[in-house]
Amino acid sequence: METDTTDQSKDDILICLPGERLCRVEDNVVLGEGTYEQGGYIYASKSGIVSIVESEEKYQMVSVNKPGFHLTIPATGDVVTARVLVTTPKFAKCAIFCVRNVLLESSYRGLLRKEDVRETEKDRVDIYKSFKPGDIILARVINQMEQSFMLSTAESELGVVIAYASDARKNRIPMVPIGWGEMQCPQTTIKEPRKVAKVLPESTIKSEP
Amino acid sequence: MAGRMELLSEQGLRLDGRRPHELRHIKCKLGVFEQPDGSAYMEQGNTKVLAAVYGPHQAKSKKAEGNDLVINCQYSQATFSTAERKNRPRGDRKSLEFKMYLQQALSAAIKSELYPRSQIDVYVEVLQADGANYAVSLNAATLALIDAGICLNEFVVACTASLSKSNIPLTDISHIEEVSGGPKLTIAALPTAEKIAFMEMSERFHIDHLETVIETAMAGCREIRDILERAVKEHLIHMGSAADWARVG
Amino acid sequence: MAYVALSEAEKTFILHGVEEDFRCDGRSRRDYRPMELETGLVSNASGSARLRLANTDILVGVKTEIDVPNPLTPEFGKLEFFVDCSANATPEFEGRGGSDLAQELILSLQKAYESSLAFDYRTLCLIPGQQCWKLYIDILILECGGNLHDAVSLAAKAALYNTKLPRVTATLLDAGVTDLIISDNPYDCTRVGIDAVPLLVTVCKIGDYCLVDPSAEEEVCSTVSMVVAVSMRNNTGRCGGYKMLRPFITKFLSTAYLSGTHMTGGGSMHRETMLNCIQLGLSIGEQLNSLLVKMLKAEEQRVGPKRPKTVGFLK
Repeated sequence: METDTTDQSKDDILICLPGERLCRVEDNVVLGEGTYEQGGYIYASKSGIVSIVESEEKYQMVSVNKPGFHLTIPATGDVVTARVLVTTPKFAKCAIFCVRNVLLESSYRGLLRKEDVRETEKDRVDIYKSFKPGDIILARVINQMEQSFMLSTAESELGVVIAYASDARKNRIPMVPIGWGEMQCPQTTIKEPRKVAKVLPESTIKSEP
Repeated sequence: MAGRMELLSEQGLRLDGRRPHELRHIKCKLGVFEQPDGSAYMEQGNTKVLAAVYGPHQAKSKKAEGNDLVINCQYSQATFSTAERKNRPRGDRKSLEFKMYLQQALSAAIKSELYPRSQIDVYVEVLQADGANYAVSLNAATLALIDAGICLNEFVVACTASLSKSNIPLTDISHIEEVSGGPKLTIAALPTAEKIAFMEMSERFHIDHLETVIETAMAGCREIRDILERAVKEHLIHMGSAADWARVG
Repeated sequence: MAYVALSEAEKTFILHGVEEDFRCDGRSRRDYRPMELETGLVSNASGSARLRLANTDILVGVKTEIDVPNPLTPEFGKLEFFVDCSANATPEFEGRGGSDLAQELILSLQKAYESSLAFDYRTLCLIPGQQCWKLYIDILILECGGNLHDAVSLAAKAALYNTKLPRVTATLLDAGVTDLIISDNPYDCTRVGIDAVPLLVTVCKIGDYCLVDPSAEEEVCSTVSMVVAVSMRNNTGRCGGYKMLRPFITKFLSTAYLSGTHMTGGGSMHRETMLNCIQLGLSIGEQLNSLLVKMLKAEEQRVGPKRPKTVGFLK
């Protein structure tokens, strides 16, 4: 290893620039964010601080971080927060505004097909009974199609997290989930069908593949 | 080539007193503005350029073709940037040409596979034009991209070169040398990998000299790269110590 | 204009701040944000200035040209404004995206400078009816942080102050043809008088109150605003007999005149409110003008023999 900054004290910070060679590719070295591999070496692709994190399985992850800076694009497998914009019989169009725990500056288009709403009884799903425009949902990015990201809520932790009753627009009191398929307005006690997410602490969702 | 002015004096000095291999004075700064995701200001002699980068964000539908990253550039020149007033800042043939060349050179440097279906906007504003406008614009754009934290293969830098009548290659051409009719070669390079991302040449000279002129321009690129690297490092140390090396992510 | 999204709660917060006369950034309703000014930084222009008003960044270059005066006004020189909204400010300005905003700014400047009492076009005349100076005032908007009108007019005035016209002497040749000789000496130049040059003050109405120098967020909250062009005029000519007292009198007799005003934004306002707005604009414009003149004088001192290098964008 050419670089060694396992203990990062303030005086011992390794700064790198795009195109700078960091180290050789070895079996126990994993490429992290802001790096790329070429001709048997790992190079930096951003300017920032080099960090080497050692994990339990003797792997070392080399990555480059820019101080006070983070830029995100939804990637396959990420859990995103999106707002439902339009519902049609076949799919729901969404606007992704948050990836993992990072708020995006501008939203990305997302598409949730009828088949990806839930795990079981896929053919009996009705989009209109699962989502309404304006709902805030948690979903996982499963694919990247042209122009938009394909989303899925086929996990019990994914689905609608915040929804308002369709008639009580003025009061804006969020409905309370009363089951995996229904939500209720606390004021009018009207029940509405939704694909409800079982909201868990974030760490449990993240650990899944 | 008869009739054009001699670019080198008998003492071997150029019109502005530089030696043939000398670059003009370079000053640059990252993070000039707050609104764009990345911005940079660059001065090379009397050529002054501001660059701003927005993105990556979702590609506008009309520009998106398939899964690729769209690099959207705009080159504009302030109406007061030249000695003769320009009537409009952009939209003329020259700026459209430069815009295309910027796109070419930048797409060689940006790691586009990391940004599918996204768009990066690069806007370049020339405040004062005194030769090598394209080269300085590209260098400023590179700095702005680095400021925006966009992943690059490495620095992409550009430099110009010319050939004096006595066949001595000259680096970093100023406006006065440009108009006095010598050949002008612009190279955008990835200096560490020794790759050329873009090259443009005008006027004629013998093919035998091409090699030396390209080598001169490449040497200029390497020198500019070193200067830019120093500036980025200084900026990082400045920003990092202000943020107390806080790591986000 | 760069789009700023505000929620209802944020708007209410700003509104309450304005009511309390304590705005989000701690200013009162009559305060301006901090300003930075630098002149003479574009060497290809005859005069230039860069003004940074908080996040609003304006660069102005003045170019000169010799032209033939308009036959209707043979003794007047010419002035032309051009505004370019750089895409650096916001991606919306890409291509022709900023042309509406640019046109609006050009029009309000033209209106403000229209009167020959606001800008003395005679100083730009070389030979009446034959030759005059034409000044191109090219304004480049590099970053928008609200209150463009004020910032643009301040920068334009500063650039005019910085403009140096080479001294021109006319010689009469045969057959009544005049020939102009332009001085080669860069120090042999004339300046443009800026005493009366107008400034634009935007008075923004938020809720029931009027305020000056709105930030981008405040502009979103406002329904209507008045752009008031304020021109200062020296009345010292009238008090010829009191030469001793002139320095003191000048102070009181230079008064603010209105040289044009128009409303922007979609809303409407009451007639009395409008007059109040204009009054407020005039008094603020007067203060702003004296502040600018002071800044320019200080800048001039700096540009003297002990002149440090121009900083420009490198600061």
